[in-house]
Amino acid sequence: MLTGYMVVSALLIAIGATGVMIRRNFMIVLMSLEIMINGAGMLLVVMSYYLGNVSGQVMFIFVAAVAASETAVGLAIAVMMYKRKKSVDVNDFSILRK
Amino acid sequence: MEAIMFFILALMSVGGALGVLISKNPYRAAMWMVLSFFGIAGLFVMLHAQFNAMLQIIVYAGAIAVMIMLVMMVMDRRTIEGLKRFNPQPIWPALIGVALLADLGFIAYKFKIDLSNAGKNLTLNGSNTQMIGEVLFKHYLLPFEVTAIILLVALIGAVVLTKKDIN
Repeated sequence: MLTGYMVVSALLIAIGATGVMIRRNFMIVLMSLEIMINGAGMLLVVMSYYLGNVSGQVMFIFVAAVAASETAVGLAIAVMMYKRKKSVDVNDFSILRK
Repeated sequence: MEAIMFFILALMSVGGALGVLISKNPYRAAMWMVLSFFGIAGLFVMLHAQFNAMLQIIVYAGAIAVMIMLVMMVMDRRTIEGLKRFNPQPIWPALIGVALLADLGFIAYKFKIDLSNAGKNLTLNGSNTQMIGEVLFKHYLLPFEVTAIILLVALIGAVVLTKKDIN
């Protein structure tokens, strides 16, 4: 059962990482980041259950807070770039390149 | 019974994540993400983490999904729906993702710990929330305050990033 939970977490992290690398739409990149962070947080809760120690569940609260702040900043960047470029394609987000 | 519930919830969470990965429409991707979060919340209930299951539903499926949907609502629908699905050459990132999965799966397969404490020490007077409150405010008080400051700074940063330039 522990292996099953860990495999689910690994699948979530791998799917999220693939989505961050593979997708064009910046909104979906942010959603994939959420899924990746959620997979890592789920691993904390799984280990908290199987070790019999509640600290992992407390750390999940911190992970959730960091995920929320990261989403806020990411969406602010998305809105700023949309105002400037009228697009959410990550390939258009290269204003610092030239 | 427990194995069947685990299978259904794991299918929900992984299927929702795959839906985010391959759906073209970002609104549908957000709904798939909410499905995935609900599946993970169910897995938390199975792990005797009721407080974290509620936190998962309220913060992730509630606040974060609504935040993303609101930002997509104020944008032009054709602009964000008409994008191509994948980057050029999607095969290499997919291979990196498969390699990451193989790595983490190998660790999960080889990982062995003493399971005699499984499911113990997670409640105080029969309440998971009370136990989390005890540990959070007795042992983790300073990280809790620092996290509050991180949230404040992130929200101020979001406001500063999106405000109009003052000439």
